[in-house]
Amino acid sequence: MNRFHKLALLAAVAALAGCAQPVTRYGDSKGVETVTNEFGSTDLQSIAESMARSMQTSPVIISGNLPIVTVQEVRNKTSEYIDTRAITDSIRSELQKGGKVRFAVDSSAMKQQTGEIDRQQSGYYAREQSVERGQMVGAQYRMEGNITSIVKQVRDTKDVYYKFNLQLWNIRNGLLEWSDEKEIRKTTTRG
Amino acid sequence: MKHAWMLAAALAAALAAGCGTKKGFEVPGQAFGCPIGEQKIASMDDLVKAKVLMEGSRTTVLPTEMRCSRSGDLLRIDANLNNDSRSVKRISYKFRWIDREGMRAWEEETWKPLMLYDNSNLMVNTVAPTNKAADFRLILRSQE
Repeated sequence: MNRFHKLALLAAVAALAGCAQPVTRYGDSKGVETVTNEFGSTDLQSIAESMARSMQTSPVIISGNLPIVTVQEVRNKTSEYIDTRAITDSIRSELQKGGKVRFAVDSSAMKQQTGEIDRQQSGYYAREQSVERGQMVGAQYRMEGNITSIVKQVRDTKDVYYKFNLQLWNIRNGLLEWSDEKEIRKTTTRG
Repeated sequence: MKHAWMLAAALAAALAAGCGTKKGFEVPGQAFGCPIGEQKIASMDDLVKAKVLMEGSRTTVLPTEMRCSRSGDLLRIDANLNNDSRSVKRISYKFRWIDREGMRAWEEETWKPLMLYDNSNLMVNTVAPTNKAADFRLILRSQE
């Protein structure tokens, strides 16, 4: 191959590389995602679904007349960053849509809630239409949990085990009314 | 004597009725506790055929047994999945919830991955997300 041919080949390769533009497609947001073995959308969705379904069948929810629940923290005890708020938000959405539970404002949204009441009580609004202080309803139960993981790695294999635990506590008497766990194991092998 | 004949006939009828009652067929419109509507379901195989759908890549993993019950006003389902092959099978599954009018009672569920060892059974169970769900389909696909 002479110099001219080599140059032509290089130019052709460069041109082809330039043409290879990235392609963007919409995917199935509910599909099984196995891009890496870190915590992913499938894990979040299946945990939320499993926990919400389980909680709906607990005696305290079945027998209660639309019990009022407040969402507290799910502690992330894993070594990776997981937005646990996204998990509890999904659980709350599923339970709310199921129509068996009502949710009271939680501590993270308390500032906005009291801020809005204060704003309505500021004197700028018609008094008869403004909400009064002291009308909020307190929760009967609080939901909290943990997510832990065990990660093991050898040269070509990485194994991740997640355990999500959720609990429903009776605020008045401090009793644990319901608790459930969801376990997930993912193994990635190179080659 | 007449009384004895009548008693014997009543006993025979009661015995025949007892033997003829198949478990799961007690309530009209239900088979093994699962809602079947107007469908003719005479066996577990019929029920599996009526309730299981394949979407995407087909899998050889199939339920061998399905049972339904009620948890409060929610439909509860147990399905025993069987892998009769000599290799590990990876599948995903989801349930589709249908209301009394035949419309979707809930948004599409997430696909849940599952691993079945060779020659093994695995029980999947779920409960309906809402009391509007009157019927269901179990949807399976291969993840191989």
